Amino acid sequence: MISPVPASPPETPRLRSLFFLCFKIGVLSFGGGLSGWLYREFVLSKRWIDEEDFSSSLAISQMLPGANVVNLVICMGEQLRGPVGALACVLGFLVGPFFAVVGLCQLFDALAGYPLLPVISDGVAFAAMGLLIIMCVHGVRRAMRFPPSIITIAVTAILVGIFRFPLIPVACVIAPISVALAWRRI
Amino acid sequence: MRFDTLVAIALVFIPFSLTSIGGGAAIVAGIQHETVTVHAWVNSREFLDLFAVSRAAPGPGMMLATVIGWKVAGWLGAFVATLALFVPSSLLCYSVFKLTNHHRDKKWHRAMREGLAPVGIGLIIAGVLSLFRLADGGVTAFVIAGLSGVILYFAPRFPVLGVLALGGLAAMLASTLGTWISSL
Repeated sequence: MISPVPASPPETPRLRSLFFLCFKIGVLSFGGGLSGWLYREFVLSKRWIDEEDFSSSLAISQMLPGANVVNLVICMGEQLRGPVGALACVLGFLVGPFFAVVGLCQLFDALAGYPLLPVISDGVAFAAMGLLIIMCVHGVRRAMRFPPSIITIAVTAILVGIFRFPLIPVACVIAPISVALAWRRI
Repeated sequence: MRFDTLVAIALVFIPFSLTSIGGGAAIVAGIQHETVTVHAWVNSREFLDLFAVSRAAPGPGMMLATVIGWKVAGWLGAFVATLALFVPSSLLCYSVFKLTNHHRDKKWHRAMREGLAPVGIGLIIAGVLSLFRLADGGVTAFVIAGLSGVILYFAPRFPVLGVLALGGLAAMLASTLGTWISSL
């Protein structure tokens, strides 16, 4: 962390600046880990958001459904410029990846027929699973502090991942129980 | 493209938008079930390819929905799938942020945060399990996923794109080596 910044009055960013900053982060964001980048831009570099507000927005973004980063840019947009700011941030963030992902898909289709392509694609998918695995490791380690959380994790993973129960009803049953347990503990 | 298809795409992804606690990883298993098993829009092979594409491209992993929409119904499908997956959760997040931002130290807020976290993790693990089952890649899958996890865990600054490229390269080498050994 850098030392407290000199008290330069924080300016209200223009909508255009919000859009283009989020656009830049969106198109350059490969593979996740974006909250760190948003933190660097919004808190450290531009000083539009302070540390505490950033952390609380991050918590909300993580506990609500939706891509964490998308939720996070919505919170920051709202805080800085209200509803229009949130819209500018989310549009800026998603428009680049939208075209990039379809473009990559077309490239993939154009290369179809090369015998090694499915092999390489599998390899990329396996490596991408590594990203998910480290999220699981971090999550399980956090949950160690409160053993019932481990049971919640295990029951959810087994029902959906092994017995292939449909995800939505399982989440709707387990989530309230888990929140109730957390409520009793606090 | 038929209007019915677009409606079907929207109806599949809207519920996932509101259940993707912990992000897109939590709904991979569910999306796979709906698009491969229930609707048969893509087969297992294609689903895995699209998953790889969505991870190699910039942006959140939830763009998986965008490429599935594109595969099923072209640009309009991609657009509908993206809106269906991002609009409901975004509206929810916006409302919750606006309404609860002042209560972030209250007990119910903490209980909600801490109670939802393990559910999200359990769903991510389920997603990994269902991807392994789909991939059917045997030892190679476990080795590459494991090594990628180890690299990213111990070297958080290592570029993700590099890890993905190494994964593709490793699978190619393993396959070539396998062919070579069996030809001996």
